[in-house]
Amino acid sequence: MKLVRHNKAGRAYLLNENEAASLRSLLQQFPITANVPAQISKTDADPEAMEREKLLNESLAEHRKELKKQATNLLAAKKFKEVQKSYLLTLTPEEHEILLQILNEIRVGSWRVLGEPEDLEPEVPPQSEREWVFYNLMELAGYFEASLLRALDGDLQPGHE
Amino acid sequence: MPSVLEPIAIPKRTVKRETRSKDRLAPTYYVICWNDPVNLMVYVTHVFMKLFGWERQKAEKHMLEVHEKGKSVLVREGAEKAEFYVHQLQHYKLQATMEPAE
Repeated sequence: MKLVRHNKAGRAYLLNENEAASLRSLLQQFPITANVPAQISKTDADPEAMEREKLLNESLAEHRKELKKQATNLLAAKKFKEVQKSYLLTLTPEEHEILLQILNEIRVGSWRVLGEPEDLEPEVPPQSEREWVFYNLMELAGYFEASLLRALDGDLQPGHE
Repeated sequence: MPSVLEPIAIPKRTVKRETRSKDRLAPTYYVICWNDPVNLMVYVTHVFMKLFGWERQKAEKHMLEVHEKGKSVLVREGAEKAEFYVHQLQHYKLQATMEPAE
């Protein structure tokens, strides 16, 4: 994944065929897990915590729906333009942020399905095909996240992978 | 000892008005981010910069605190704003909670 252009309007990345197929596959699969109830507090000190938690979970569900819509938009043919066996992905700053959130939701969701392991690179390989799938999803989402963040930080200058 | 009895002045009963502190009027909350092994460190830094408008140095300081100490108090705010930040942090899938400040 190569950053080839960036300006105020956004950033353009060149992806090889495998990368483009993998990223499109991640977007198609989103969301990969069911909603997991979120906590708003770890103590019982706030008497309004229950009501706040309800609102939080509604907000998360709504946000997830919005991300799903955005994932569909990002899959549109015009977003991935074929250029000599590679694909040019152009993202506005807003789309950049949305893509990061989608990828991280996939990464965190996969981690939860795997039972929230402390060690993300276990010495014993995953035992089932299902585990392999989720470890791979987690890795893949992390790879694209790291690439996007390097580009934002300026570490990834145009023309460098 | 005085020979003349002094008039007994009954002290006026003063009604002690309770001065309500600012905290009591508007309780404040700590917004806390908790460690997990899955969120990338660069991602956490990015989210802090984005949401709080912090410089990289401050965002990294809090990210490292989360990573090394298990949690970091990010801000202290009134209920509404604290709730807003928790929602935003959780939209990014960071483990964030709000806890009463006192």
